[in-house]
Amino acid sequence: MKQYRNLIKPYLVWAFVIIVIPLILIALYAFTEDGNEVLTFSFTLENFRKFLEATYMSVIFKSFKLGILTTLICLGLGYPLAFIISKCPEKSQNLLILLVTIPEWINMLLRTYAWMNLLSDNGIINRLLQLLGISPVTMMYTDFSVLVGLICNFMPFMIIPIHTSLSKMDKSLIEAAFDLGANKFQTFTKVIWKLSIPGVLNGIMMVFLLSISTFVIPKLLGGGQYMLIGNLIESQFISVGDWNFGSAISLILAVLILIFMSLMKKMDKDE
Amino acid sequence: MNKLIELKNLTKNFDDQQVLRGINLDIYEKEFLTLLGPSGCGKTTTLRIIAGFEEPSDGEVLFNGIEISKLPPYKREVNTVFQKYALFPHLNVAENIAFGLNLKKMDKSVISQKVERMLKMVGLEGFEKRDVTLLSGGQQQRVAIARALVNEPKVLLLDEPLGALDAKIRKQMQVELKKIQQEVGITFIYVTHDQEEALSMSDTVVVMNNGEIQQIGTPTDIYNEPENRFVASFIGESNIIEGIMVKDYLVQFDGFEFECVDKGFEDNEEIEVVLRPEDLDIVAPEQAKIRGTVRNITFKGVHYEILIETELRTYMVHTTDYAEVGREVGLKFGPEDIHVMYRMGSY
Amino acid sequence: MKRNHKFFSMLYVVLCLAFFYLPILVTMIFSFNSSKSLTRFTGFSLRWYQELMGNGEVIKAVYVSVTIAIIATVISTILGTVTAIGLSKSRKVVKELLLNINNIPILNPEIVTAISLMLLFSSLGFRKGYLTMLLAHIAFCTPYVITSVYPKVRALDPNLANAAMDLGATPFQALTKVIVPMIKEGIFAGALLAFTMSFDDFVISYFVSGNGVKNISIVVYNMTKRINPTINALSTIVIVVIVVVLLLSNLVPLIKKKAKKLNRRMVRVMSAILIVAVTAGLVKWGYVAGSAHVLKVYNAGEYMDLSLLEKFEKEYNCQIVYETFESNEMMYTKLSSGETYDVLIPSDYMIQRLIKEEYLQALDWKKLPNRKNLLRDVTNKSYDPGNRYSCPYFWGTVGILYDKTVVDPQDLKDGWNLLCNPKYKGNLYMYDSERDSFMIALKALGYSMNTTNMEEIQEAYQWLINQRDTMDPIYAGDDVIDNMISGNKALAVVYSGDASYIISENPNLDYFTPDQGTNIWYDAMVITKDCSEVDLAHEFINFMISDESALSNTEEVGYTSTVKSAYEEMKDGTYAGVSSYIPDISNPKNEIFAYQKPKIKQKFAELWTKVKAK
Repeated sequence: MKQYRNLIKPYLVWAFVIIVIPLILIALYAFTEDGNEVLTFSFTLENFRKFLEATYMSVIFKSFKLGILTTLICLGLGYPLAFIISKCPEKSQNLLILLVTIPEWINMLLRTYAWMNLLSDNGIINRLLQLLGISPVTMMYTDFSVLVGLICNFMPFMIIPIHTSLSKMDKSLIEAAFDLGANKFQTFTKVIWKLSIPGVLNGIMMVFLLSISTFVIPKLLGGGQYMLIGNLIESQFISVGDWNFGSAISLILAVLILIFMSLMKKMDKDE
Repeated sequence: MNKLIELKNLTKNFDDQQVLRGINLDIYEKEFLTLLGPSGCGKTTTLRIIAGFEEPSDGEVLFNGIEISKLPPYKREVNTVFQKYALFPHLNVAENIAFGLNLKKMDKSVISQKVERMLKMVGLEGFEKRDVTLLSGGQQQRVAIARALVNEPKVLLLDEPLGALDAKIRKQMQVELKKIQQEVGITFIYVTHDQEEALSMSDTVVVMNNGEIQQIGTPTDIYNEPENRFVASFIGESNIIEGIMVKDYLVQFDGFEFECVDKGFEDNEEIEVVLRPEDLDIVAPEQAKIRGTVRNITFKGVHYEILIETELRTYMVHTTDYAEVGREVGLKFGPEDIHVMYRMGSY
Repeated sequence: MKRNHKFFSMLYVVLCLAFFYLPILVTMIFSFNSSKSLTRFTGFSLRWYQELMGNGEVIKAVYVSVTIAIIATVISTILGTVTAIGLSKSRKVVKELLLNINNIPILNPEIVTAISLMLLFSSLGFRKGYLTMLLAHIAFCTPYVITSVYPKVRALDPNLANAAMDLGATPFQALTKVIVPMIKEGIFAGALLAFTMSFDDFVISYFVSGNGVKNISIVVYNMTKRINPTINALSTIVIVVIVVVLLLSNLVPLIKKKAKKLNRRMVRVMSAILIVAVTAGLVKWGYVAGSAHVLKVYNAGEYMDLSLLEKFEKEYNCQIVYETFESNEMMYTKLSSGETYDVLIPSDYMIQRLIKEEYLQALDWKKLPNRKNLLRDVTNKSYDPGNRYSCPYFWGTVGILYDKTVVDPQDLKDGWNLLCNPKYKGNLYMYDSERDSFMIALKALGYSMNTTNMEEIQEAYQWLINQRDTMDPIYAGDDVIDNMISGNKALAVVYSGDASYIISENPNLDYFTPDQGTNIWYDAMVITKDCSEVDLAHEFINFMISDESALSNTEEVGYTSTVKSAYEEMKDGTYAGVSSYIPDISNPKNEIFAYQKPKIKQKFAELWTKVKAK
């Protein structure tokens, strides 16, 4: 069997080159100043100090707020859906899960553009409202439009893990709860919900991770004023050209996510 | 004894398949009743209808004379021990047992007292804080029983609770279950496909097949006086022979007439006779009416299993005596060893 | 009661699915629209499908997306499976280490992964293109394969391989004949995941690709500037293909039983196709610079009549790699990260910077006989005196586009301060560009837009902050064009060329440049220092300023031509009466952007970020 051990060697090398070294490069840029040349660096903490300015802190605050809000709404809407699906006969379950996943295979940008057309001031929804005699509502470039875009794109990532944990749950546990005198509501809160927590945590991790670092959806649906941490990083690299500051923000984001993830993992273990 | 549960003409269909075809059964207080039968016979469905997990397609379930078949499980005074125990993996031993009591919003100190008493009864003192997923099968079983009994139900339903245990622990649990039942003094309804288990534990055995009840009786009745070929062959090994009831106390088969203890059949009714292998004795050929040749002998530990070929059939005999293959022997049995039963077309 | 319950459950499911499918449905419906509008259905037509077929850029992108996805899936599936099998036999320390490293790309935000890879490739000096994109895709796909295969391997009986070898199998045979078939499901799930991730990826591809190699996502992202229903046609095709593939994959188990032999042949055929595809991909886009006569042109998005490129390729028997950027800054970033191009078409101040930083070579005007066609007014400007390095391409101003039916003509007198008029609160678009926005503020305050005076800049910053707080403007990018055509808001800051196009689509609008002065800008063609096809580059520039090309270019794009004949024809023809087509050069307060020192530039960038990040 030992001969199979060597099978990991190619990936070990590959992972080191393409995963570890790039991260070291980010750190290197984050702690240095000036220029896009690695060789001319000099050590500095300036990039991190700069990040502490109120503006950037508010960007991070806004990103977390939006990330948490998106995650909560996805959980609130996705859990019932996963729950209903898990109650369906097996054949319809497979079909419904397929229907939930298909949109994920269609380019995210394309779907976001479609939302722009739906939500704009003279867009399809407002036109329909006008036909119904309701005055148009401004939806584009607001929290609402950004949330709609994020939720539409990320909710399946909440539904799938929750459905997995619900559908593989032993039915006799639910019967046992009924048997021991729990009504439907109590059975849900005391057994079903508790047992689906690993799936819920998985979903929360996925959605939060995706929504906190996104930059395309807020840019398209929220406009330039919708500055999130992802947009901040993108603009540092693409338009401002300050790679060092951009790297520093990336590093901070990565560390924050890491802290969040280990918190979630710990919660998972405690459960 | 008072009637506790009455099942009246219970039927159940799943899709277009009929799994229960009219079950009528009375269950009494403090009774240990076993539903016995092969898989798919409808025993588990019957149990689930009593528990409230299934609604009967037709018929009534009376509990203390009140119809309950539409009542949800959480409003019934019955509790269940599930096949694979169904312990809540997110709760520890004590929390599992206290689950039902917590729902009743009972006082904390009362709950812990009750939990402790239950753990003592099932022999798991000191296990309160253990993780249920790390317990052995036997221990999980005890927790499941404690969890059900702590609610002080009128009836405890057990769905093949010993099925997942190995032979030794199984024997031990059988004894313990019986002891627990006597201690708490409530009705146990027990589902199993293991006839030995059924016979050794029950007050009443209900043999089921194909969605119908075949026979209801005490273990001895069921074993000694099977009412039909199915019961006879399902309970223990038997020699089943077609014959004719000449008149009361006289039966004819294999070309001979024998005295017996059965009566109440019509004269010359076609019947079937059960001869239990352990009731047959091997004697010298001239001492018996039925004669044959030893074809095979297998050592079974306590006894030998001997196959004797006669003119018409092969008899199976369990005996402690040895008989070499090829020997001519006679088969002897007394009138009380002959069990006459109605002949059933389909078996 | 129970039935009611069920009804509401089903209703909820239907509503959720409707929410997911609404955008897809809209996309599909409007792909058959006969007009350009994305909000009003005017009739059925297949015109966008025809345009899609004729659009070489999109077809190429489809090719890139598909081949990259297939190759990345195959490689990462093999690599991931092999690694997962090896992992299950490795020592605990190694296992934990590798699994943790493997988790990094999954747990890291995509943008961080993208940037880390970009930094890696640029410090290794890799040419960005097909190969870098492929490597990046393998990098982020493999971890997903490992995470879906590894649990299956772990669940296997550890004696399986031993049993196989005991029966005479070599370790390799044990692997392929016993282990792999047992974990087939995990491998398939991993491969599917990898394909989806790769095919749909935008962020990582966006940062690591270059040299004209674009996948569908990047093309779509670049299409924002103009309404382009060909996107809808493309996505409809993608949707149909996906649905067909899904149906097939559900039917495959049935077919598979019947044709197991065929399967083997299929595998062989598939791998042959794959190899051909890889080679073609590498040859065509990976090492494109190696072949003779290739011209790499880098221009702003939606800023050229693309048929001209084909015409040029035919006429001069060469190949053009055409790439687009979103902003001058983005172009500069690419250039400074080691990307090479032959011809660039940046704006004035950027040209000035490129000259200063010695990125450009002087033009040989003798090789540009069409110089005689150029307008007098566009040459010899401050950014490149004597036009030593640059040949003007388009020009124009920045101004305010307003809805005549909403905006009171009296209010126009306020000039830029119109943008602070509370009457139009929440009813205007600013342009999401730091220099243009600061230009507005500085001009409104009466300063030069090229000021380096920190106090003035600070004052302008305050102006923008106040404007933001009192007016609730949207800082839009090129989506302003679509929005204004649809009449979504009353006011917008736009470039004159975009204004001309918008007004031609929505006659309710008009354009004006405030008397306080504005930015008068020039975009021009330049040749880079390391251009390898200097003669061809000159031919190209000369071709673009021929009377014929210039006319079709300005007609297509709507920006003001720098070629006299085209300018005059449009002024009196298509855009007669459209004020934005004629840049106002009479106002002495108008200025051209000048090169900014890095410190000042960064200050602007920082302040602009702060304006946007409320």
